[in-house]
Amino acid sequence: MKIGFIGLGIMGRPIALNLIKGGHQVTVWARRAESMQPLLDAGAKGAASPAEAARGNELVISMVADAPDVAEVMRGVASAGESGLVAVDMSTIAPAAARRIGEDLAAAGIDFIDAPVSGGEVGAIAGTLSIMAGGSDAAFAKAKPAFECMGKNIVHVGASGAGQVAKAANQIVTGMGVLAVAEAFAFAAKNGVDSAKVREALLGGFAYSKILENHGQRMLDRNFKPGFKSWMHEKDLNIVMQTAHELGLCLPGSAATAQMFNAMVGSGLGEEDSIAVLKLLESLSGQA
Amino acid sequence: MRVGFIGLGVMGRPMALHLQRAGHELAVWARRPESIGDLPARVCATPAELGRCCEVVFTVITSSADVEAVALGREGLCEGMAAGSVLIDCSTIAPDTARQVGTRLAEKGIHMLDAPVSGGAQGAIDATLAIMVGGEAEVLERVRPLLNCLGKRIVHVGPNGAGQVAKACNQMIMVAAIEAAAEAMRLVTASGVDCAKVRQALAGGSAASRVLDVMGERMVRRDFSAGIEARLHHKDFGLVLEAARQSGVPVPLAAVVDQQLNALMAQGWGRDDTSSLLRVLEKL
Repeated sequence: MKIGFIGLGIMGRPIALNLIKGGHQVTVWARRAESMQPLLDAGAKGAASPAEAARGNELVISMVADAPDVAEVMRGVASAGESGLVAVDMSTIAPAAARRIGEDLAAAGIDFIDAPVSGGEVGAIAGTLSIMAGGSDAAFAKAKPAFECMGKNIVHVGASGAGQVAKAANQIVTGMGVLAVAEAFAFAAKNGVDSAKVREALLGGFAYSKILENHGQRMLDRNFKPGFKSWMHEKDLNIVMQTAHELGLCLPGSAATAQMFNAMVGSGLGEEDSIAVLKLLESLSGQA
Repeated sequence: MRVGFIGLGVMGRPMALHLQRAGHELAVWARRPESIGDLPARVCATPAELGRCCEVVFTVITSSADVEAVALGREGLCEGMAAGSVLIDCSTIAPDTARQVGTRLAEKGIHMLDAPVSGGAQGAIDATLAIMVGGEAEVLERVRPLLNCLGKRIVHVGPNGAGQVAKACNQMIMVAAIEAAAEAMRLVTASGVDCAKVRQALAGGSAASRVLDVMGERMVRRDFSAGIEARLHHKDFGLVLEAARQSGVPVPLAAVVDQQLNALMAQGWGRDDTSSLLRVLEKL
């Protein structure tokens, strides 16, 4: 399939590479020209603009930072006048923003899918991302061969915006999950008990989770290198809290968690992995 | 002085009348002309036209976007107001927006004060509002006689945006206190004790507060009709949490109170008084 790809950062680059490996003809565009080079070396064509990345293609995919960036590149895509095109955005943005972008593209005859991912850089490189898609059945069917090159767990969640709703839900569970494991370890340590042993014991029971296993181990190793930077988790939880505010939805646990991540950004831990919330807990309770 | 006024709601209308009664010539613009009613004022077709005929313009409107549109939009105030004239924005909006609007107006030599108020509809009627002002001190001194018609306590907090920061803090403290009063009332009732007696007992001690006095009374009487429409506090908490986020300052209590306000909105009590936070607890 002929695919345009926009945004070649930590996530976008390996995803685009996997599309090339999957045998697709890929045209790339990125704001910084130097980030296009590895893809050109791998056989991609370069485009001079988002519009050019869309032109003549069946599918165009974006992976950028925030809703205004998505809206901007999709305006470029719409200006290519490629009706019948399917546009896919894999960035994490607010569900309401995704729905608006979908409506704008529909007006230009372009079908839109919001398809945020979970699994991080590791998952992007390995082609094992979880992909949560929102949009029409026809558009999803068209994009599916591309999704299969980059992910394992591919779920068509529902209509436009539904993928972002699932991603926001994912960030609620992972945000609170990381905080829960950190609190459990702080609790053990303050009681003079070995957190490593606690983790080992808990892994066999109902508290088992991937977060306890993977993030928990990194907490024990005090390896705070990202991974997933805490400022990005803060940004995602802000999407959750703003959406909850607009809908009149009471989410006390998410609210408390969002404030912990807010404090991490404010105290200079923003560039560290989200598991550095453990450090914040330790300093609050005089354990540092 | 010719004074312009935009926003003739429960707060704006009595404020405009005080200015008119103090001998100022009033000019108004309203998105819905019917809201002007029998107010003795010159009616303008656009904010720009209002701006052209006034030395000072007051705005008391709901959202950051509304203030931006009225001040900077097409046919907005900035197209009409002369250099040296003053916009006094008494709305509660984001400190960031207040700064941005101030900067844009300053490019045309128009002064702006952010001057949000506290005291509610009764305070507006009695002209006893607390007014928290951000902007240049000498501009405030020029318009202080006008503000004296509206309020008792007028404090120059700092530069543009500082008034809105003060107002955000006011809302944080006030609504958290309402939640505290509601939780106390809930506990009292669940313990089989008389709320009215407890409120009376507490009024003499360290927990005494205006909120316990006014909102506590409404909770005891279970009179949740507005007062202060809870949807406005809900809106303000959106501003508070966004400001906290931008500063990287954790506000764990405000965040939880905001969730109670979300639940309140979901119950459809947004137009009732914020003392309805008690009813949210009763749902849990």
